[in-house]
Amino acid sequence: MAPPLPPGLTPSEVGFLCEMEHVTVIPRQTLDGLELLGGPTGALKPPFPTPLPLWLALLLKKQRRANITPPPWLSVEALTQILDFETDERTAELFSPSPNLPPATTSAPLGDAATARAQADALPYHWLEIGHLLITHAADDFDDLDAVRKLLRDLREVRMSKLRKGFEVLDAGGGVKMNGVGGMEIAEVRGFVGGVVDGLRRLNRSREESRKERETEERENGLGSSSYRDDEDEDML
Amino acid sequence: MAARLRGRPAHAPGPTYLSYTPNGKKLITVGVNGALRVFQHGSDNEPAIIDVLTDGHTAVASTNDFIVVGAEDGSVTKYSLLTNSMEEILVRCSLPVRDVSLSKDGEWVAVASDELEVKVVNTRDMTRIMHLRDQSRPVKHVSFDVSGSTLAVSCTDGIVYMYSLSSEQPQLIKRVDGLIKTLETDVEASAKVAWHPDGRAFAAPTATRARSDWQRQKAFSGGHRADISAAAWSPNGALLATAGVDKSLCIWETRSQRLLKSYDDVQNAILAIDWHPTDNVCSYTNNNGELFIREDFVPGEHAKHLRIALQPAPMNNDPLSEISGNARKQVGNGDKPNGVRRSAEDQYLDDLLGPDAMSEDEMDFIEDDDGAGYAEETNHVGKRTAVANGGRPAKRHAPFATWNPQVHEAFQPGSTPWRGDRRYLCLNMTGFVWTVNQDTHHTVTVEFHDRQEHRDFHFTDPYKYDKASLNEKGTLFSCRPSSQTQQRAVLYYRPHETWTTRTDWRTQLPAGEEVTSMSLSESCIVATTSKGYVRIYSLFGLPLKVYRQKSMPAVTCASWRDYVITVGNGSVGGDGTTRMLYTIDNIRRDELCQSEDVVALGEDTELRSVFFSDKGDPCIYDTEGVLLILLHWRTPGQAKWVPLLDTKTMDRLASGRKDETYWPVAVANNKFHCIILKGSDVYPHFPRPLLVDFDFKIPVSSFPAGAADDEDRDAAQQKNLEEQYVRASLQHSLASDLVDNTNATSAQKAEVPVMEREVDKALLQLLAAECREGEERGMKALEIAALMRDRTGKMLEAAGKIAARFQRDILGEKITQLAERRLVGLVDEEDM
Repeated sequence: MAPPLPPGLTPSEVGFLCEMEHVTVIPRQTLDGLELLGGPTGALKPPFPTPLPLWLALLLKKQRRANITPPPWLSVEALTQILDFETDERTAELFSPSPNLPPATTSAPLGDAATARAQADALPYHWLEIGHLLITHAADDFDDLDAVRKLLRDLREVRMSKLRKGFEVLDAGGGVKMNGVGGMEIAEVRGFVGGVVDGLRRLNRSREESRKERETEERENGLGSSSYRDDEDEDML
Repeated sequence: MAARLRGRPAHAPGPTYLSYTPNGKKLITVGVNGALRVFQHGSDNEPAIIDVLTDGHTAVASTNDFIVVGAEDGSVTKYSLLTNSMEEILVRCSLPVRDVSLSKDGEWVAVASDELEVKVVNTRDMTRIMHLRDQSRPVKHVSFDVSGSTLAVSCTDGIVYMYSLSSEQPQLIKRVDGLIKTLETDVEASAKVAWHPDGRAFAAPTATRARSDWQRQKAFSGGHRADISAAAWSPNGALLATAGVDKSLCIWETRSQRLLKSYDDVQNAILAIDWHPTDNVCSYTNNNGELFIREDFVPGEHAKHLRIALQPAPMNNDPLSEISGNARKQVGNGDKPNGVRRSAEDQYLDDLLGPDAMSEDEMDFIEDDDGAGYAEETNHVGKRTAVANGGRPAKRHAPFATWNPQVHEAFQPGSTPWRGDRRYLCLNMTGFVWTVNQDTHHTVTVEFHDRQEHRDFHFTDPYKYDKASLNEKGTLFSCRPSSQTQQRAVLYYRPHETWTTRTDWRTQLPAGEEVTSMSLSESCIVATTSKGYVRIYSLFGLPLKVYRQKSMPAVTCASWRDYVITVGNGSVGGDGTTRMLYTIDNIRRDELCQSEDVVALGEDTELRSVFFSDKGDPCIYDTEGVLLILLHWRTPGQAKWVPLLDTKTMDRLASGRKDETYWPVAVANNKFHCIILKGSDVYPHFPRPLLVDFDFKIPVSSFPAGAADDEDRDAAQQKNLEEQYVRASLQHSLASDLVDNTNATSAQKAEVPVMEREVDKALLQLLAAECREGEERGMKALEIAALMRDRTGKMLEAAGKIAARFQRDILGEKITQLAERRLVGLVDEEDM
């Protein structure tokens, strides 16, 4: 019997999915176009930059067959600007907005979120994963690696603390506005939030159960089945 | 003059120092005994003596009116030269004073003593004092730069501290480490910084450094066998005099760092040197109390160096037109510090005529009453400021200027000038060639974008190649002729792949001829030379052709397969600069495609680069940031320059936050490939920046991108479509030109109908936009429909459908009529 998977995507699954995003690659040798499941890739001809799926780009990078151009939002200026937005008092409640949606006409399943043509002043959905992967595997393609790494970490911490602050009000009926939060951030807090909500419910449940037991004892015959209610709760999460 | 050099015993034997007043009238010496001597320049009379209370003087600095003297008892005293008497003690240190330096305006005096701090005292108000405390050990020398805003402090810990004194609070701006030696304060050897008169560089015993980035620039080497004890720039910066503790005295030429003369008649170690501000006189004092005034210090054959205007400091990255091969002397136009030469006659004439006649000195016929700078203000010497203020006064020049057209300098496309010790010789879509200056030789590295196809290589280059050209087949180098080694200009070609053992070759140009620009294509090598020849070689070194260029001197050239474009200076336009003319030649067929046609450049615009696109159309990029392509160039007389992209109107610059320009690399895949230059950079530097590509955008209209409301967005969309139409028509005519005139491949032939369809597609979209606007736009819609290129009638059919969808019935009818008339051939090309 397969172990039960927690609901939603796990961080590793999100990390896997982000490798489908396209990044811009500067090839260092020629390669014909490939017919891949995700669609055909363009022929590589140095030094013309070509968009490729991240996984393929990383593979070529490891074999030193290509350089990856970091997307514009992964530059020191752009990250500083976004971090300023995140830490500014006036906008402290908000997450920096996600990039503008592409015009509805594009039929391509994946946009330009991480290519050289991406919008510079917004973090795309997979910013954390892509940033992490590029910094680890394409370190020599960055101008100022340490600054970028530091800014990414700062951003991550600022946004994470905002998320946590949001969860302080997490109670029955409480809600957190999560516009602009990235995929990995959601995957990361899912465990935490799930735990908290579960824990809260467990606390409440024991109280509730004891109350019910009392009621049952009083009536000598219970009406509601607690296990049935549990299932219902489980489904709600 | 005096045949034998005789020292004037100025002071008791011991260290002696001197200083000329800025006007050159007086020379002050100080020594160990309790007197200062004031010599009158040009007279052999006994000097005036100022008896003073202190003895053991260690430093002197002077202005026209007063001198400042430092002594071993720690006092710095100000003496008046008008009354030859002491005025006041400016500052008193607890330890011996080692050096004093006055700012140019005489306002501040910097005092170095054996104390840890440097004091900067106001000469008028001794209570105003600044302390510089960043150094950890006593300071040996201080030196103000020309502007008086920067103070170089040579510390005994071997570091030169640079302080900015422009604000009230002095600020340490740079520690220059590893430049000077670690010296004790009382040794004879010197670590004093000597600022070059143009203020951009300084010399210190060991090396010269540039001021902007504090990099070591050039070394004057090979003259002294021991430590340097004194150094001084000539007033115009063209020469440098240095003295060593080994009793040597040398004169160097700044521009080439060549040793001009070495004197061997020095008896004692020289402790201080100073040039006379105007005459060919240099004085020095030694450690034996003697003063030597050397007249005709610079030997006659080099004396011209003293008469020229302010010389630029020798910098590795100076825009000394290294990129341009043989820099032409630009006589007369502008006031660039180099190149402008003021003749000796000019100066003599000035002296003869005196201040009243025809000069801009005191009694000028133009009164500068509104301060707009018609008249040059004279400096304290009462002469023109040829020495200190940079270029020469332009006004003086105007009446006498001979007519000198401004000539465009030659350049090699894709190369950059020196910055630091390296430069790119060639940067294109195949790879890049860069060279590193190692003083005695260069090292050249060739790197490719495609590392699988070609292997990067690297070699030591004794010829000092200054131009290179790279393509898929090989690399071409050329070097300048050298007068010293009798080496002639050489072309060197190195193919990347061979099937024989050795196929690289060198060919020497005739003596005195220099390569001004060159280019390598897949089938030939082209070089334009300083004699005005265009020399064409095969890829294996066989000279194919030599002809004289019609428009000379040559500016640049480029080639693609058998087509060669050469650009030269033609006739002179109204603004005094020559018109650039280009010629396109097919060397295999020996046909001229275009002959002496104009390179269309706006006023004050310079050519930045010339290259062929990947489809073989000539392109130019100008300093205004516009990329132009040549259309219909295969038919003589039909060529016209069409703008493809105006980089200043690109969307990425719309926010106004970005300050960037672009350095052209190539036009390929219907994109403009370039390197982004930040700020005021003109050339790319190391590390190699990434190539960036931009789509073409013909400057049809300027519409702000990202407009807010719907109406604006619709209008922007409309403009976009219009631009798309113009661009598609341009590409269509480029493609059909290619097919009509060459043996085009099937792929190229297939492109023409594709482009035709693109044009019609843009027109259909425009038509739809017009139909949407309303019935009253019907005339324009019909005009658009008539522009359709398609001959099969399908596009007009589609246009009719669009009209029907928007229920423009009249328009639909007219379109059907048009289609019918076309079909039966009633409307031919002329009518449309």
